[in-house]
Amino acid sequence: MSRVVVIGAGLAGLVAATRLAQGGARVVLVTKGTGGLPLSQGTIDILGYAPERVTRPLDALAGFAAANPGHPYNLLDADAVRLGVAYLRELAGPEVFVGDPEVNLQLPTAVGAIRPSAVVPAEMAAGACVDGARFLITGPGQLKDFHPQLIAENLARTQLPEGGRLAARWAQLDFPARPGESDSTGLTFARSLDDPAYRRRFAAAVRALVQPGETVGLPAVLGVSDASVLTDLTAQIGAPVFTIPLPPPSVPGVRLNNQLTAAAKAAGVRIIPGAKVIDHRSSNGRLLSVISATAGTPREYAADYFVQATGGFESGALHLDSHNVVHETVFGLPLVGADITELVHGDYWGPPQPLFKVGVGVDASMKVDGPYDNLYAVGGILAGATRWQEKSGEGIAVASAVRAADAVLAAIAATDQTPARDDATQGAQA
Amino acid sequence: MTPHDSNNAHDNNNYAADQVARASLDHCVKCNICETHCPVSAVTPLFSGPKFVGPQAERYRHGESVDHSLDYCSSCGTCTLVCPQGVQIAELNSQARAVMKADHMPLRDQLISRTTLMGMAMTPMAPVANAALGFKPLRMVIEKVVGIHRDAPMPTARTQTLTGWLKKRKAPTKAPTRGSLVYFHGCAGGYFEVETSKRSIEVLEHLGYEVIVPKQSCCGLAQQSNGLFDQATAQILKLCDELRAGGKDLTIISASGSCTGMLKHEAHEIMGVDDSRLADVSTRIRDIMEFLLDLHDAGELPTNFKTIDITVPYHAPCQLKAQGMGQPAMEVLKLIPGVKAIESGVTCCGIAGTYGLKKEKYEIAQAVGQPLFDMVKATNPDLALCDTETCRWQIAKSSGVRTEHPIYLVHQAYGLS
Ligand SMILES: Cc1cc2nc3c(=O)[nH]c(=O)nc-3n(C[C@H](O)[C@H](O)[C@H](O)COP(=O)(O)OP(=O)(O)OC[C@H]3O[C@@H](n4cnc5c(N)ncnc54)[C@H](O)[C@@H]3O)c2cc1C
Ligand code: SF4
Ligand code: SF4
Repeated sequence: MSRVVVIGAGLAGLVAATRLAQGGARVVLVTKGTGGLPLSQGTIDILGYAPERVTRPLDALAGFAAANPGHPYNLLDADAVRLGVAYLRELAGPEVFVGDPEVNLQLPTAVGAIRPSAVVPAEMAAGACVDGARFLITGPGQLKDFHPQLIAENLARTQLPEGGRLAARWAQLDFPARPGESDSTGLTFARSLDDPAYRRRFAAAVRALVQPGETVGLPAVLGVSDASVLTDLTAQIGAPVFTIPLPPPSVPGVRLNNQLTAAAKAAGVRIIPGAKVIDHRSSNGRLLSVISATAGTPREYAADYFVQATGGFESGALHLDSHNVVHETVFGLPLVGADITELVHGDYWGPPQPLFKVGVGVDASMKVDGPYDNLYAVGGILAGATRWQEKSGEGIAVASAVRAADAVLAAIAATDQTPARDDATQGAQA
Repeated sequence: MTPHDSNNAHDNNNYAADQVARASLDHCVKCNICETHCPVSAVTPLFSGPKFVGPQAERYRHGESVDHSLDYCSSCGTCTLVCPQGVQIAELNSQARAVMKADHMPLRDQLISRTTLMGMAMTPMAPVANAALGFKPLRMVIEKVVGIHRDAPMPTARTQTLTGWLKKRKAPTKAPTRGSLVYFHGCAGGYFEVETSKRSIEVLEHLGYEVIVPKQSCCGLAQQSNGLFDQATAQILKLCDELRAGGKDLTIISASGSCTGMLKHEAHEIMGVDDSRLADVSTRIRDIMEFLLDLHDAGELPTNFKTIDITVPYHAPCQLKAQGMGQPAMEVLKLIPGVKAIESGVTCCGIAGTYGLKKEKYEIAQAVGQPLFDMVKATNPDLALCDTETCRWQIAKSSGVRTEHPIYLVHQAYGLS
């Protein structure tokens, strides 16, 4: 059985590792810390702005890619994204997501702006900002970072992306997550809402505010471990309910992280947290092992193939030094897009900063353009995208993860079928 | 003598200021990931959580602590493990707590830190000690006077120490084929959890190793976690000398998950002990399940295991997870035919060494461990597995399920019991 090491436990790393393990590889996932999912809205953004607002992301993909040479969507087409999203939905479980990768929903944010995303947690579906919608935005005053008035008033004065307007009013609840606590995080509220008794009291408080015909917008705190919170609250409130994602810790992101971590473990992935990769060994153009900083003494993980899912600047995988030089911090790989004089321009609200397009280059199988034959890269480390501005991060992550995993599995199958004779794979036996 | 001699917790904040832990706070990007994993702030509003008492409050500390909820941190180490930016949150917290408590260290915290003393005192009168600690009125007096909660788990004293067993047992009949190892049993493994040590040694001997058990004392972990850094430093260096006397360059094996963590990294990273003897031991010591898995990965572990048909809950202690090696016991258990080990998925059992013994923390510790106790009972009411002694006592006491070290099943699967 071939061994694969995946580095990084964000969306890209978890998906790649699970697919590899399900395909029969022996997978070790080493990671410095938790990946970016608990910071994310828990939505699957494919393409939101190109740069104007996108309504049908997969239809827009080819044109967007053509206009942006070097963007990962030049290698990962609409079918690759469909495959990636379908696989993610399978891993998360059938009830987790709603929506269609073909169409963007337009959903309210925590400041009352309207954000495009394609496949979203079931609890967000009823929040689609369409002409004639009537929202009541409400939540506990004891919850940090949720301001019903700001959200409702901004939504109500916005011309909707697809035309028309919606009506929104707001109300603030006096409803602590725990007795005596005055500024709890969303996660604390979510834990309280996991408890059916607390949930009943909360639903009663909300029900008292709702007028006929209104859809209720709540903060995205509908439970971390109990999957029935949405249906239960909807029934008890007696009106459709949707949620608005909050700044981190983001409950839908935490939930997705838990679900995908559990799926990886169930598939047999050996997850090693707290293991920052600090070194590696290679020979004849192949990586032999990575070495992690571990309590006491470094540990070495040998493998036949390696998948790098280390994210970008935000996770420390890329580093800009004081001489304006960008480094890939794990293997020192050559970078694409780093050889320009002005990595950051002064116009903060202007066009995308060149710095954020820096990353590693790959071929169509996600094999890294660099010194090693058996190293693949997926997710945020890929060059060419400004993920948060385009709203393309999750689409790239899942499509590249599935592509790389399938390429590695195919390479394994090929070497298994041609023993001894294939000299291209010498050294892989290490 | 040693470079850390000036690092005195009673002087000021020196040892912390000198440490990399403090420098790491500037890496905090306020992502809140640590907050989502902290087992204590999840169950009580009394603790504001790792980001707040760690990188946030540390900026305002100049000796004096600005946030006294810090004392509710159990030092489980989870926050440091999950932080994607490498902030040493738990280490910062432990250092700040030592400073905060320096001038009013409760007698209770000094007493419960003296693990060896308790073991030595209890062994010769084990039946008496066990009966006394099971006696409710006495426990209520202890709670009042000393501050140890009346229902907190206490170890069961044994009539024989490990040293006693080693002296009396028949010498192994098989000649070693794989060289020598040094065995570190820890206080619990010497006095209370004697069976775990015996089984570990027998497994290693079965594999063909000669096992050397040098005379050894306490690693000082309980003192460290209670902020008694001076005593803990003296302890651990004494222990290093003793373990080094077992043999130069030999691998050191232990089945005490948390004491191993103290030797591997905590003494250095929390107390700033910077001593070549510690550096030598910390690079040579391996957890026993880690060692077995390394052997397996190298193709050197015999897997002619007997089938054991059992579904068993396995809980990886937080201080083991903090060592950054994953959960080796899970992988080793997968090698035994018939064994279906179910990972608890729970962050911490609550006890965190001596935390859950304290009367003001007992309820919190129970709430932290509750999902684990429920999971254990639901998975197998007769047996649970966990790598660390105090966690086993906590799980056994609160769930009513007998709890053993994973080596227990390996021993059985090799036909040794
Ligand atoms: C502030 C912000 C906002 C964003 N908003 C959006 C948005 O609205 N829409 C959108 O589509 N995308 C957005 N993105 C991008 C999106 O979050 C990511 O592209 C996506 O989640 C893919 O992440 P990943 O798995 O590649 O990496 P991450 O989730 O960053 O995971 C990287 C992993 O690698 C590990 N790692 C790093 N270095 C090492 C090492 N040396 N050794 C071991 N492990 C290591 C880390 O610990 C981590 O587990 C945003 C990103 C940021 C930073
Ligand atoms: S996980 Fe690390 S970076 Fe994030 S808030 Fe906590 S200490 Fe800061
Ligand atoms: S060490 Fe444990 S209890 Fe303390 S702050 Fe970190 S996660 Fe919370």
